[in-house]
Amino acid sequence: MLSQSMFPWILLTAAFLFTLGALGVLIRRNPLVVFMCIELMLNAVNLALVGYSSYLNSEEGQVFAFMVIVVAAAEVVVGLGLLTRVFSIGRELDVDDLDEMKQ
Amino acid sequence: MNASTAALLAGLVLLFPLAGSALCGLLGPVLGRRFVNLAGTLSIGAAFAVTLVIFAQVLGAASGHQSTTATLWNWLNLGPGNLNVSVDVTIDQLSVLMLLVITGVGLLIHVYSVGYMEHDPGAARFFSYMNLFIFSMALLVLAANMVILIIGWAAVALSSYLLIGFWYERESAVLASRKAFITQVIGDVALVIAAFLIFVNLQAVAPTCPPTAVCGFIPGHLYTLSLPQIFANASSLGAGSPLITLICILLAVGAFAKSAQFPLHTWLPDAMEGPTPVSALIHAATMVTAGVYLIARFHMLFEMSPIASGMVACVGMGTAVMAGFIALSQVDIKRVIAYSTMSQIGLMIYAVGIGAYAAGMYQFLLHAFFKALLFLAAGNVIHAVHDEQDIREMGGLDSRMRVTAWCFLVGSLALAGFLFAGMFSKENLLGFGLINGPGAPTLYIVGIVVNLLTGLYAFRLYGTAFRGEPRSEAARNAHESKAVMLWPVIILAGLSVLAGWILQWPVAFGPHLIDAFLNPVFSQYVGRPPATAPGLWLGVIGFVIGLTCSLIGIAVGIRIWVRHDLDPSRALARPGFRLLPRLSFNKLYFDQIYDALLVRPTRALARGLRRVGDPVMDSWIKGVSGVATDFSSAFRTIQTGLIRDYASYMVLFVVIFTVAVMLAAGLAK
Repeated sequence: MLSQSMFPWILLTAAFLFTLGALGVLIRRNPLVVFMCIELMLNAVNLALVGYSSYLNSEEGQVFAFMVIVVAAAEVVVGLGLLTRVFSIGRELDVDDLDEMKQ
Repeated sequence: MNASTAALLAGLVLLFPLAGSALCGLLGPVLGRRFVNLAGTLSIGAAFAVTLVIFAQVLGAASGHQSTTATLWNWLNLGPGNLNVSVDVTIDQLSVLMLLVITGVGLLIHVYSVGYMEHDPGAARFFSYMNLFIFSMALLVLAANMVILIIGWAAVALSSYLLIGFWYERESAVLASRKAFITQVIGDVALVIAAFLIFVNLQAVAPTCPPTAVCGFIPGHLYTLSLPQIFANASSLGAGSPLITLICILLAVGAFAKSAQFPLHTWLPDAMEGPTPVSALIHAATMVTAGVYLIARFHMLFEMSPIASGMVACVGMGTAVMAGFIALSQVDIKRVIAYSTMSQIGLMIYAVGIGAYAAGMYQFLLHAFFKALLFLAAGNVIHAVHDEQDIREMGGLDSRMRVTAWCFLVGSLALAGFLFAGMFSKENLLGFGLINGPGAPTLYIVGIVVNLLTGLYAFRLYGTAFRGEPRSEAARNAHESKAVMLWPVIILAGLSVLAGWILQWPVAFGPHLIDAFLNPVFSQYVGRPPATAPGLWLGVIGFVIGLTCSLIGIAVGIRIWVRHDLDPSRALARPGFRLLPRLSFNKLYFDQIYDALLVRPTRALARGLRRVGDPVMDSWIKGVSGVATDFSSAFRTIQTGLIRDYASYMVLFVVIFTVAVMLAAGLAK
């Protein structure tokens, strides 16, 4: 059982990790790194959820964290599938290069 | 004839040309010329066959039961006291006579067109329009409801527009078709206003609507445009009242526009821009006779308004003289015939104006034969001299085109009123003028002048085009047309020769068969007693005078233009007469007057309004569209296709949203 006084630090860590992930998504151009940053954001949220769960003495946050992990795994499967397809048609792996949505 | 038979037969008459038009127009270009020729003529042939059946039915019907009105279907029903339009057709002696000419002469013209349009790439379109023309005209004469009549009326104008402008690569043809259509629209509008006036003012005459019953918003008002009902209740409009006079004048304006009467006549000569069969169809079988038909059909109303019918008679006779005068100096073979049509139609309009309806329809019937004959023969000539229409470039054609020349001579004699068709109908018609009409026999005397003029210009045309020496290379090398273009002409020549004698047998100035045939129609509804036929001796005198004048015209025409032993130029050089040839050649300057009075001011007004209106209208329209464009182009730049951009928008808005929620929560505390 964590001490109650640690709770703000947990939230701050989660917020820091989330910001780091968000910045990575926005700034980095390699899709693999972008994915990792998304994972980072998801895990920051997980950390916040678990922190709240402990703070509020409730299991719901932890259950929800498991949900997030499952969704993150599914998202990675889809995302990496897309990336291998992009790579196999001979395109450079650069998110700025994939702007066909504009048309 | 019972109503269902009538509906079936009338429906077939309407259906065949319409189907022919659709088939030629839609499938013609795919299936080729043979199909077009067959479908285009057979459809009219079928309509003619059905018309013959109708004719037999009408002839066979017991007297008093010859007129049948049937409803094809109910088109519009807005409840009592409002507009109700059912597609009604009337089959009676008048409509069947019209139909016989429309489909019969129309059939001959269609057969002729097969030859005439042989080398034209647009033959499918041509036959489609021609069939549409026949359909529109049949709809017009069969209609027993004013709405349907107006639809037919406008459809005739449309088909004439399409056909006059058939060679749309020619600017003059396009301008002529536009002129015809605009003139027609003036007539259409007049007709529609007349229909409105009848619609709101017609009241039930006693027995159809008991005083306690409500037949409309105002008790007693009928609110109907059904022709039998209009005629049955016409007396409620008030005989001689300003209202009925206004209605009749509006109807007459409609008729004048269709029938090319003064002052709406200028479109007809220009309509010669269409292919020659079209001219024949417009002049003989359809269109220009629609005005005569309209007045004959609405005779009940005209009888109630002496002012309007007197005006119709005067305009008719005036146009007859005017057109005859102009025809004297025109040099285009088709234009001369066009003015002769205008003149002859003027006589018909005069006849229906003075109440001699049967005489007018008699003239219509015989005129259809010899006018179609003249036009088709002229078509042969034009074909033979390679599309030359100037009679000064012809001459000497009688030895090169023997059959056509003889037929044309028959047509000219029939037109001038000697021996053949025109003699009977024209003298019969003028005979009525002796004792009927405003200021009788003033207009009769004018009519005699028309006879004179007709003889003159008919033989000027014949003499200049066919006799003498050929005056151009094309005329020297002219040769006879082929059989498909010759037989319709020969048949029409035969009809022109025989029809008058058969219908008039045994006496030339006595009652004729058409009179007996049509009279039940005109005595069914009577506004005032119809024109009385001149007595035997007066009839003989009138006939002899009229015929003498025609003969003088013919004789002088032959001396001047065939035998060349009389030269009018000396007489015309005298001071009083010097202006006449110029006036005639320039068609009395009507085109120039209209141009100066109507076309130019309208154009100037339009230009002025444009100068004012353009900036005003454009500014706000462009303002509105400008706002929309700016807005959308501003937003378009956001959509870059870059995932990072989308992600940053997401983050941005999540942050904004979060901050907003937090602020709101803070404020709420």
